[in-house]
Amino acid sequence: MDYIIQGFKEAINLLISLDREVLLIVSLSIIVSTSATILASLISIPLGVYFGIKKFKGKRLFSRITYTLMSIPSVIVGLVVAIILSRRGPLGYLDLLYTKKAMIIAQTLLVIPLVFGLTFGLTKSRGDVIEKVAFTLGANKWDTIILIIRELKIDILVNIATAFSRAISEVGAVMIVGGNIKGYTRVITTTISMMNSMGDYPMAIALGIILLLISFVIHSIIYSYSQED
Amino acid sequence: MEIKINNLEKYYGNRKVLDIESLIIEKGKITGITGPNGCGKTTLLNIIAGLDKEYIGNITYNGLNLNKEIADKMTIVFQKPYLFKRSVYENIEYPLKVRGIDKESRSKKVLDIVKKLEIEDLIEKKAHLLSGGESQKVALARALVFKPNLLLLDEPTSNIDPDAIEILEREILKFNEETNGTVIIVTHNLEQSKRLGHRIIEM
Ligand SMILES: Nc1ncnc2c1ncn2[C@@H]1O[C@H](COP(=O)(O)OP(=O)(O)OP(=O)(O)O)[C@@H](O)[C@H]1O
Ligand SMILES: [Mg+2]
Repeated sequence: MDYIIQGFKEAINLLISLDREVLLIVSLSIIVSTSATILASLISIPLGVYFGIKKFKGKRLFSRITYTLMSIPSVIVGLVVAIILSRRGPLGYLDLLYTKKAMIIAQTLLVIPLVFGLTFGLTKSRGDVIEKVAFTLGANKWDTIILIIRELKIDILVNIATAFSRAISEVGAVMIVGGNIKGYTRVITTTISMMNSMGDYPMAIALGIILLLISFVIHSIIYSYSQED
Repeated sequence: MEIKINNLEKYYGNRKVLDIESLIIEKGKITGITGPNGCGKTTLLNIIAGLDKEYIGNITYNGLNLNKEIADKMTIVFQKPYLFKRSVYENIEYPLKVRGIDKESRSKKVLDIVKKLEIEDLIEKKAHLLSGGESQKVALARALVFKPNLLLLDEPTSNIDPDAIEILEREILKFNEETNGTVIIVTHNLEQSKRLGHRIIEM
């Protein structure tokens, strides 16, 4: 029992003293996952709205495939990206494996289906009436997509936050393509996983607390914003 | 805009809700449509508006099949209007914006229509917080602002108080006279259809 309490004490110390290594790890986590979330959102939100309002054959099957991909395991994404970026892989010449860029690519691919699926589902259920009104007022396809994004912006923001939470808390993909290199590709989750196997709990606990705090702050911001609206 | 409907049938599942052999809506006239609940008035308007394409039969607009150009010249005000989550001003401005009209002319047109409908006091408000009657007035303003050739109204005054009804009817008549725009108005109020309609269709 004692070593757990001791672990917490040391963790708090690490946090209060703003330990340089902790700061580096946390900021890298935030940078990588924020970049991935923004990239994925720019691609997936317009596409999700577009397919959400579009009527086409096989939309049901399409929905089911989409919802399956939403929960794709991160190690699979990591593996695929690693194979493509590895020296003998098709994009090996870019020399990206074990870099931050590789981590951003992997997390972007991980959350693209998530953001797409959430936006698609949202638009399928709530976009119809907006699309109809837009059509009767003379909007074209693109006007309509923009309008739907604006009308559903609170829900879309919640979806983006969900995607960010998924990105920053996943360990499989960044571990495989980043390699957990100290001071370079080491992020919160890969550190926790490593510290755990080394039995070094204070650092793991400190980072665990930060991970929870980040999630809490993001959801609080969105919550207060949605109340305002 | 002249509308010609031929052999129109509409089914929901196995249930036939519309069966119109032939109907011509005259250009530049106001046509009133009345009939009991569930007889298919809203369904018919949605089909004419191009929102419901799952029907059998043929509809032409000035002799042509529906295309984007024709769709841009008509509009519908729903029984329960949907207003965008922004200000009343921005709602009314929207059809002008998507038509690429410049900011200054937009502002002039919006202010002009809110003045006519006597809803200047609503202009700054958030549209999705308005009452049912206020929403109907704003939805009508949003439809009239771009001077459509065909205006479809589905019980546009069902939530509106008598004084305001007078204003809206006056403006619908004026719209028809000044722009020669064709109007189809669904209403449960026989008096209203007599006051407005050049012709009344009983469904
Ligand atoms: N999406 C739908 N699916 C199945 N049936 C429908 C659907 N929409 C309408 N109906 C049915 O079609 C019939 C016609 O409906 P519609 O809304 O056109 O009536 P209405 O004449 O506008 O009635 P009201 O005066 O109450 O507005 C009704 O019996 C209704 O139940
Ligand atoms: Mg109706």
